[in-house]
Amino acid sequence: MMNKTAFKIFICFTFLSASIATILLAINVLGLAFVGSDTTTQIHDQSPEGMLEQISDALEKEEDGFVISDDSLLAEDCFCILIGENGNVLWSQNMPSDIPMHYSINDVARMTRWFLNDYPVYVRTRDDGLLVLGLPKNAVGKYGMEYSMEWFDSLPRRVMSILVLNLLLAAVLALLIGSFFYRRIAMLTNGIRELRQEKQVSLKEKGIFRELARNINDTSSAIVRKNAALSRRDHARVNWINGISHDVRTPLAIMIGNSQILENSRELSEENQKHAAVITGQALKMKKLVEDLNLISSLEYDMQPSDWESVRLCPLIRETVSDVLNSGLAAAHEVELNIKDEKMTVRADKSLLERAFFNLINNSITHNPGGCQIQIRAYADRSGAHIRIKDSGIGMPEDVLERLADKNADIPRTAHGLGLFMVNRIITVHGGNMHVHNENGCVVDIILPVA
Amino acid sequence: MMEELKNKKILLVDDEKELLKTTEEVLRSEGFFNIYMAENCEAALQIVKTQPIALMLLDVMLPDGDGFSLFEKLRQMTQAPVIFLTAKGESEDRIHGLGLGADDYIVKPFLMKEVSLRILAVLRRTYQKRQQEPAFDLGAHHIDLATATVRAEGKEQVFTAKEYMLLKKLYENKNRIVTNDALCMAAWGDSYYGYENTLMVHIRRLREKIEAKPSSPKHLVTVKGLGYKLVTDDE
Repeated sequence: MMNKTAFKIFICFTFLSASIATILLAINVLGLAFVGSDTTTQIHDQSPEGMLEQISDALEKEEDGFVISDDSLLAEDCFCILIGENGNVLWSQNMPSDIPMHYSINDVARMTRWFLNDYPVYVRTRDDGLLVLGLPKNAVGKYGMEYSMEWFDSLPRRVMSILVLNLLLAAVLALLIGSFFYRRIAMLTNGIRELRQEKQVSLKEKGIFRELARNINDTSSAIVRKNAALSRRDHARVNWINGISHDVRTPLAIMIGNSQILENSRELSEENQKHAAVITGQALKMKKLVEDLNLISSLEYDMQPSDWESVRLCPLIRETVSDVLNSGLAAAHEVELNIKDEKMTVRADKSLLERAFFNLINNSITHNPGGCQIQIRAYADRSGAHIRIKDSGIGMPEDVLERLADKNADIPRTAHGLGLFMVNRIITVHGGNMHVHNENGCVVDIILPVA
Repeated sequence: MMEELKNKKILLVDDEKELLKTTEEVLRSEGFFNIYMAENCEAALQIVKTQPIALMLLDVMLPDGDGFSLFEKLRQMTQAPVIFLTAKGESEDRIHGLGLGADDYIVKPFLMKEVSLRILAVLRRTYQKRQQEPAFDLGAHHIDLATATVRAEGKEQVFTAKEYMLLKKLYENKNRIVTNDALCMAAWGDSYYGYENTLMVHIRRLREKIEAKPSSPKHLVTVKGLGYKLVTDDE
């Protein structure tokens, strides 16, 4: 579950980084193209070729030589010459002194594309000669470039492969950074999950998530501290109840022993023997109360049953019913069994479950001392194992029913209804549900999850 | 035979004087008369050194140590059976006591009859081991478990192995309901599931051997939906 979340974060992050990288790359390529496109030399906001063209247009051949109609066309720091067919300079403007007046065909070839005495030059051919524009020294750098046609043909492919390479690089980088964050986030998510399970969490407090990690650690420490305090208190309570019941047991044993001696004493009148029997009976009730209290307190505050095993329900019910019948308590009661689905099993603490069923059947017997019918039905379906214990007796008091129906009810403050409350707890601990209602007697319905 | 068992020397160890006194009195009234008492480990060890004690009833909580460690010390001196008597009811304690090799475990408070019955049961188990299997009568039928035979009207029949195991289980729990499951378990062991029908067949054959009228049994009674009960005449 949490790995899914972290994985999502990871994927999103990778995607995001890749997109950002791609966009940056595109912007850079465009920017570079824009900056790099400005390669033409500008002389006073004019390209040398443009200036040459204007000068050429303004230069006219007249009777006594060449005349320029507008001598402001040429920038002051530049010069211009016209070389005639014979190699002599026919016209010039601003010509520096280190420029020769005569050019051989080799001179022309050498300078046309490059430099004339270190002056960068541009040329324009006219019918009457070669017009040469010279720029100041070091104003322009000129480099010759040559490309084969093959180079042009393969250019798109190479550009593409560079692009792909870039994308790959971006993806790898994103993956690296993403996985770094993934690990950090996975760790944090893990921490929060363990926080929910109330475990002790100790994350490494470093990096950009340091604050977050520290807060998680602190919260977990607080939870663990609280839980420890709670369980200490619960333990104290359970121990207290155990201690009390322990201390009650020995006096009870002495009471029962002595009252039984009196019961059997021939020196006592029959009436007094009966009084002794009443004492025994009441002491036995106290014994049961003490045992129930012990079990309830441990179910309530402390622990889950420890002896989980796979228990077949039908033999368990038969055994419990036999125990009840063998105890001789149910002399005036008719017990009818209707159990199906021999194979149904539940995960249970066998002795606890037995105790629950015994209590329920015993309830029906003790509440109806005049006798009644007790029907026990058990079967399994898709929703679980169903057990119904129904008697034809006086039914359950309303207040006990109400308290049972209330899920948040605390332990009964008196012994009244304690037995049923305990059964309810046992069934709940086993993941089951118990419902009690009156219908021509008391009906207890139990559903347990089947294993 | 019973008298012989009640002759055995029994040691009670409990720090509660009143309880010792009461228990002693009850055991005496039940017919035990060789009863020794100790209020602490020291005294208990002293008695075991000097007397051939046949059974010990130990409290778990004693002023100079706990019953479990006393038990281990006593074990080095005697193999006599031990029943723990405790005010602690927690199942872990119970398992701990039995795990050490105690023979039984009784939680306070208890009915005095219960204590004497358990003492007798342990004594019987320990000292009558080589005693022969019991024989008993069901109406006109005389059943001898030692030879696995039944005699009636001068005719003798032998039980099969399964019949014998079922009858023995029923006799051990005579006059009490024994569930089908417990019977199948006794005859076929842990993986008894699915033997219910076979059980019925064996019970029918058993009735033919031990009942005067197998169709209307008087001794091997069916308890509907639960199991069977062996009804004997003697109780």
